[in-house]
Amino acid sequence: MFGPNSRIPAAISLVASGLGLTFAANSTLDYSTHLDRRLHDLHCSFVPGAGPTDAAEACRTAMYSPYAALFRDKYWGGIPISLFALGAFTFFAGFALYLLLSGGRAPRRAVGFFAFVGVTPLVVSAAMAIISATQLGSFCKTCVGIYIASFLLALGAILGALGLRRSASAAFSDAPERAQGSWLVPVAFLPALGAVCLVPAAVYASSMPDHRPYLDKCGTLKKEAVAGDSLLKMPGNKPVKPALFFEDPLCPTCRAFHQRLGAEGVLERLDVQLALFPLDNECNWMLSSAMHPGACIVSKAVICGNERARQVLEWAYDEQDSLTRAGKAGAPTLRALIEKRWGAELTRCIDSNDTKQTLNKQLHFAADNGIAVSTPQVFLGKQRICDEDTDMGLRFTLKHLAPEVVP
Amino acid sequence: MTAMDRVVAPAVGALATALTLGALSLSVSASVKSAGQRLSTPEAEKAKVAVADHAEVPYCTPRFKQVLERVLHSCGLSGSEDRRGCKPADVKTFASIDDDDFNELFTPLKERGGVVLFDMAKDELDEGAKKLLIDRWTDRKGARYFFVVARASKTGSADKNRALSHRRANSIMYFLKELSKDSEIEKKVGLLWLGNEFAQLSKEYCTWPSSRTGKKCDDESINRSAFVSWVDCRL
Repeated sequence: MFGPNSRIPAAISLVASGLGLTFAANSTLDYSTHLDRRLHDLHCSFVPGAGPTDAAEACRTAMYSPYAALFRDKYWGGIPISLFALGAFTFFAGFALYLLLSGGRAPRRAVGFFAFVGVTPLVVSAAMAIISATQLGSFCKTCVGIYIASFLLALGAILGALGLRRSASAAFSDAPERAQGSWLVPVAFLPALGAVCLVPAAVYASSMPDHRPYLDKCGTLKKEAVAGDSLLKMPGNKPVKPALFFEDPLCPTCRAFHQRLGAEGVLERLDVQLALFPLDNECNWMLSSAMHPGACIVSKAVICGNERARQVLEWAYDEQDSLTRAGKAGAPTLRALIEKRWGAELTRCIDSNDTKQTLNKQLHFAADNGIAVSTPQVFLGKQRICDEDTDMGLRFTLKHLAPEVVP
Repeated sequence: MTAMDRVVAPAVGALATALTLGALSLSVSASVKSAGQRLSTPEAEKAKVAVADHAEVPYCTPRFKQVLERVLHSCGLSGSEDRRGCKPADVKTFASIDDDDFNELFTPLKERGGVVLFDMAKDELDEGAKKLLIDRWTDRKGARYFFVVARASKTGSADKNRALSHRRANSIMYFLKELSKDSEIEKKVGLLWLGNEFAQLSKEYCTWPSSRTGKKCDDESINRSAFVSWVDCRL
């Protein structure tokens, strides 16, 4: 084990801060790149500085989630929390460098202060990891990189503090005594830490483009729904605004969108009409192959839910991974899963001509409106919500186009 | 404690923090401003997004679509709502097509559609006819329009046959209205009624799917009919 005046804890902290800085910088870059409202690949790797890839679903889920940014109703996409990490790791890197250069001559209060604040990223990381596990259901690699950096930083900081206690023991009695240091150390450095954390966020906020002119530029509904279109009604508890969704129960983006609306408390304030738009060529002639095999069957199950349609849809989202696997395995496997949860009557309904007709009418409604062949498609009243405003910019968009639906 | 301990190490730490913070701030600012510039600059090559539409299959040749379009516009299916269907003279005029070519257009619809057969001088739908109509109507897929081409055989006068053909077309229309309960059915179903002066069917059409499979079929009986089919073409 290293001695009380060892520079190793500071070195660990410095490396950890550099690691954290890299991951936080990648995450921030991903976020800021998307401010152009276009789709980009993400840096989603355990390797610091690795290039962006298109296989980054978990990172995209995290980025689009309400937990990735603050002030999302004031700024389009909000202020990403990675900016605060960027500032914090910068501060810790500087402080760790100071401790590394000072070695055993750094005052006890400086080492103690570093130990105290050095564990805060780990506390935040632990909270974010719990959110990832319980709310998002996946861990993004960049986030995990920050968790690891936070752990190493806390480790270095705590080892440094343990060194202070060790210096008093007999084994190290000949080690030079550290100065106590001034009380001003924590008093001065705590506000400095706060300020450094805020600077990147302040720069980001002051540089942001104005997204308001783009919010209502994605078209309107061509043909309003009539009874013959057989759309499903799914009003929330306190509906104040009509909305129309085109969704595919096996589409991960639809699931994430639905869950975002739920988490934001918006879903209960919408009077939702749902048109199912399965990306499966078994029933959808607009595709030459099935993007989500089995989506037609699950869509029919939602239709057969009748007054429980929302329950069936939300069940399909909750069980999307297993339903997707079952869909790929074949119709009998998928039907068995549906029957196990909803009973034989609903599975019989799936095969009925009426159900087939209802789904077909909903697909024709989509064709009549010339919607993009991608899901979800969202209309607030008659106004189409741009795709990019259904994820990162959701709260900002709702706040501007329909503030009454934002709690 | 040396000067190094008191000043240099903290100064290096503070300087490193300030420099890193400055570099990061510049980088963040540049990245956000660059996104802002891209936002205000339209994409040179915007990725094409597929748009939902009705079906369009290979048999939708320009000639086929031209005839369908003329029939649609001339028979009240699209645009004005003041007339329903086309009588033989209309078809001859608007389709600008001879009998054989007209029938040939519908050949690709052999399996998609079906022939509803009627008794002589009758326009009532029997059980087989209703079943065929239900089967065909519910197998819509991505089609936008449903065509009904009613006919009458050569037996009897031209006027009588024209009226009979019209009644047969209407029988089918009424049945489809009942079946679908669709308030917009008028915009979907195109009715044509032909007497014996245009596009009579030859005996070869007896092999097409019909409402009376296995029954005697000849030149006369095949024209006591209505051909029905969804048409998978965009117009």
